[in-house]
Amino acid sequence: MSRSGLYLYHFCRLLLGGLFLYAGVVKANDVSAFARDVANYQLLPYAWNYLVAATFPYVEAIAGLLLILNFRVRPAALLLAVMTLVFMLALGTVVVRGMNIDCGCFNPGQGHTSAALALLRDVGILLLALLTLRLRGRMLS
Amino acid sequence: MKTITRRIWFEAGIIFALGVVVGLSINIQLVLDAFSGRLTLESSHGVESPSPSRMNDQALEPALFPIPVLLADIRELQRTGALLVDARTAESYDEGHLPGALSLPLGELDDRLGPFVNEFPKETTLIIYCSGFGCPDSFDVGVRLLEAGYGDVRVYEGGFPEWRDAGLPVIKEAP
Repeated sequence: MSRSGLYLYHFCRLLLGGLFLYAGVVKANDVSAFARDVANYQLLPYAWNYLVAATFPYVEAIAGLLLILNFRVRPAALLLAVMTLVFMLALGTVVVRGMNIDCGCFNPGQGHTSAALALLRDVGILLLALLTLRLRGRMLS
Repeated sequence: MKTITRRIWFEAGIIFALGVVVGLSINIQLVLDAFSGRLTLESSHGVESPSPSRMNDQALEPALFPIPVLLADIRELQRTGALLVDARTAESYDEGHLPGALSLPLGELDDRLGPFVNEFPKETTLIIYCSGFGCPDSFDVGVRLLEAGYGDVRVYEGGFPEWRDAGLPVIKEAP
């Protein structure tokens, strides 16, 4: 792999890892507020919103940390890509249903990021995860 | 190649499972409370819920906070004359509310508290609800009703979403 390819790989890995580590930590810091954000999507039964809020931030944070540590990069990037796809599906239903809720992507209970904007941002994150996955594969081949 | 791909998926699954285990071990009480319906105001409002000793003292001095109430208790409380109060907006109330509930939106409380107090005696048990999950309106309305002199004010924190998701009857007002 060329030097520029190597730099690009590390840039993508650190950006993706930092993004999800931050998102995971801020949400894990206020699980109840995040549960309310999840509940606003009106997709899950009452108690399941708490289950998602109590677990997903830790999955994000661990996967983000692994990317930053350059350890198990492909599984971590793959997992984050799949999770981003799930988030995009949920956001898509919000757009289709014409709901005006905060996406709950980063700071739970604070601010307001529309579903359409969050969906657009998730497209970028998905591409970043797939690029990280591909660049790591090329490094090892 | 196929083996590598399978290994990557397997390891991704392990990372997911690890995150779930870590999250559950830290938040197990919250999750158990959510599934058993025991969630109190403490977890979502950051305020102290009445402790058992304080609840015992309620006959002597007024409670500072409304008492959390469970879904399972609502029918029985209604049977003994409790009044359900919907603290959401009038529009939300019209779209669907609990049977027997009266609309008393937080935003209209200044105008409607007087007539409400005139209509319902202070001995009435009141159960306030809104949109669940720490929606603050039911709590705020509950505090205002306590201040107005009502002695038994409860907050049903699960609110309309929990009631609806439990498959219980919902009343819609005609447009």
